Amino acid sequence: MSRLVPTAEMTLGPFFPREFAEGVNDLAVGSSNAIEITGRVTELDGRALDNVILEIWQADAAGRFDSPDFLGWGRAATDAQGNYLFRTVRPGAIPGRAPHVNFLILYSGLMRQLQTVMFFDDADDPVLQAVEQARRKRLIGERISANSYRFDIRLRGGEETPFFDD
Amino acid sequence: MAILIERRDPLTQAQGVEAGYAQTARRWPSQPLVRRPHTPAELSGPRVARRLPQVRGDLAGHGDKRAIGQLIRLRVRVLDEDGAPLPGAVVEAWHCNAAGKYIHPNDTHDAPVDPNFYGAARMVAGDSGLVELRTVKPGAYPVPDTNGWWRPPHVHFSVWGRVWLSRLVTQMFFPGEPLNEADAILMAIRDPEARNRCLARLVPSRTSELIYEYQLVVRGRKATARMP
Repeated sequence: MSRLVPTAEMTLGPFFPREFAEGVNDLAVGSSNAIEITGRVTELDGRALDNVILEIWQADAAGRFDSPDFLGWGRAATDAQGNYLFRTVRPGAIPGRAPHVNFLILYSGLMRQLQTVMFFDDADDPVLQAVEQARRKRLIGERISANSYRFDIRLRGGEETPFFDD
Repeated sequence: MAILIERRDPLTQAQGVEAGYAQTARRWPSQPLVRRPHTPAELSGPRVARRLPQVRGDLAGHGDKRAIGQLIRLRVRVLDEDGAPLPGAVVEAWHCNAAGKYIHPNDTHDAPVDPNFYGAARMVAGDSGLVELRTVKPGAYPVPDTNGWWRPPHVHFSVWGRVWLSRLVTQMFFPGEPLNEADAILMAIRDPEARNRCLARLVPSRTSELIYEYQLVVRGRKATARMP
């Protein structure tokens, strides 16, 4: 069978429909042990970005990706101050991987999607280890309380978040 | 079914910073992207149809509620790199109206809103990977704070493939538009053939709609497809 070339990715642009980013940032609907992940998305010079679209993909609390009770996917948009919020469950470990949340970032000025990962501690994980040691702390969510974490994303400059190429 | 994802080809995919698109130099990372091993976390994917309902499939309306503009029908096939269709794939589409105005509070372009045009659809591919969208052809519009950059008519697509790394967000263009060749986003695709594949194909129509065909190819192929 002949091989097809993947379609060229292009920027999301500034006008992603609002309705597509509403009501889907809560992955833990009905769950009593939810956590919150919040953060701020900034560009060069630290300026906060409005209406950045973030999507996450994670395992359920038992480390399963195909749970019938937990989709593991959500989408949020940043507000005018650059802040986003996800409500989810703390993912379990999966074989060979520490607990983590995959992030996808889409925005005007980003020619392609950007991918990063939030970890919960400085774990022994092959994806975290792929990042040079000095930058790994940028991938570890800051525990704010028993059930809330902060994960800021700096696209460029300063304390730039490490991003992955696949 | 094991899925393989190969590294992006810099000829057929845009690179991060484009001279003609100033925001890219403020937002694309300055550090090289990190290569990571692919594990079940990246090579599995969400069944988003469980959470995202289908909305519309017809943005043009009917009768006295018809949107202004050239009526078009987009026939879009979602395939993987093996050419296999992806029935059940979720596809989001959005675009501006015939006057070049988006339904979005951040669109400051001085062009009229069309009360009969909505501008956003979410569809699920059928058995042959096909989604159909009836709509009007989008207009061109100027990009604010640029030196005369006009976006050519285009339709945005967001697609979920088989796995997390197959996620595709892209734009489809129309053939024969003079603005295509000056567009910093389309021209960022260096390979002319890859760029050409971003143009819809006009096919004969005997109805009141112009019909365009298009393919969306998501990343990923079956691990067994290539033998040594």
